[in-house]
Amino acid sequence: MTDKADVIVIGGGIIGSAITYYLSQERVKVSLVERGDIASGTSGACDGNILAIDKMPGYDSQLTLKSQKLLDELVESVDYDLEYAQRGSVLVVEDEQQEPVARDWFTRQKEAGLPMRYLAGREVFEDEPLLARDVIGLVECASDASLNPMALVYGLVEASRSIGAMIRPFTEVTRILQDSTGAVCGVNTTRGMMSANQVVLAAGVWTPALAIAVGVIVPIKPRKGHILVAEQSPRPARRKVQEFGYLLTKFGGTEGRRVEAEMDRHGIAMVFEPTEHGNFLIGSSREFVGFDRRCNHHVLELMARRALRFFPTMRDIHIIRSYAGLRPHTPDHLPIVSPVPAVPGLYIAAGHEGDGIGLAPITGKLMSEMIAGEPTSIATEPLKLDRFDS
Amino acid sequence: MEDDTIVCRCEEVTVEEIRKAIREGAVDVTGVKRRTRAGMGLCQGRTCEKIVTQVLARELQKPLSAFKQATVQAPVQPITFNLLAKASHD
Repeated sequence: MTDKADVIVIGGGIIGSAITYYLSQERVKVSLVERGDIASGTSGACDGNILAIDKMPGYDSQLTLKSQKLLDELVESVDYDLEYAQRGSVLVVEDEQQEPVARDWFTRQKEAGLPMRYLAGREVFEDEPLLARDVIGLVECASDASLNPMALVYGLVEASRSIGAMIRPFTEVTRILQDSTGAVCGVNTTRGMMSANQVVLAAGVWTPALAIAVGVIVPIKPRKGHILVAEQSPRPARRKVQEFGYLLTKFGGTEGRRVEAEMDRHGIAMVFEPTEHGNFLIGSSREFVGFDRRCNHHVLELMARRALRFFPTMRDIHIIRSYAGLRPHTPDHLPIVSPVPAVPGLYIAAGHEGDGIGLAPITGKLMSEMIAGEPTSIATEPLKLDRFDS
Repeated sequence: MEDDTIVCRCEEVTVEEIRKAIREGAVDVTGVKRRTRAGMGLCQGRTCEKIVTQVLARELQKPLSAFKQATVQAPVQPITFNLLAKASHD
């Protein structure tokens, strides 16, 4: 197989498929290369959040809002059932110790332009009656949404294919190729060479390994996260519910949460997500334990215990499955969406950690704008690879 | 098998939906599952996995033996939150 495209996108997860989609929309000739099946890595082992509430107030949350607007368009234009539901989401405030931090978070997000509310006392249980009776507050973001992440990947891939993109699953890139000037000229794969003057590396946690071969250091580490799937049952809550402590496990720092040490050690924080099929998902864990995707049963036990702390009525609901995925972590919790200055024609779009589904639309859009040399929808300085140079 | 025959009873997935998933690139039971939800329900594919494999074999013109079982994940049978939460205390 030899094939020639304008742009080769490496990685058939949510980020690669969004980039392929937005480039194809601009009539760019794209080949999407994926070593396994489409959505078989991190995007097939995650949940489906489109959340602004858990982003750092400021650039991070603005990026998410832009992405949510693009997602609204995708839901209309992609011919696939994405199981999209915009019900908002809430953060649960556990006790008096967390309250001032939570109120501060609420205020800053509101000032950043998010549709926020703070609920206290009886309002909490009018909103979610089955929450544990000792919790004291809820921080709500009305625009947050959820969808089926795998359906979004497949929807974007099928939409791209229908407008001319070449989709190459089960094709592993073994090397990014450079010409005599050092500029990108294609890739070698397990199914032959492919040529293009632009290559986008969107391989999530597997990005650094491909980049280092062309002398580029990408500071992404796999951060493992587990999820429990519950049977179809009467819903413990009507929409996305996360403990406020989730922000602490996400951004670091464990003050303000009274939990057993092993909960913190594995980064356990309760995340509840109802699906459109009547099941619900329970997260979360965050830990750096290499590339092992097998479930750690002790972590699953801790997650179940943490879920019951917030939803005691879950006790008799059955768990039918568990899975773990590797979230691509960067040191400052923002993704890398950037050209690589040292290798002309090479771009990186990776490092979204647990925000890949929500940030995929804006990432695809930004990458298509960068490659076309157009002004970008939002400033991209905070997303540049060279921010990590020191 | 008729197009509208239900293969996965838990998630009500039909033969035609499985064929469509295969046309869109599914090459194994897990690929069909991600695209259709077949095998994602209460029985976790115990009932439908063999039938999904038969549809795959027929559509892709390969022998049944060419298909691996789907990944097995805990729990091997449904377990309540309460039991899992106390697993190491018993």
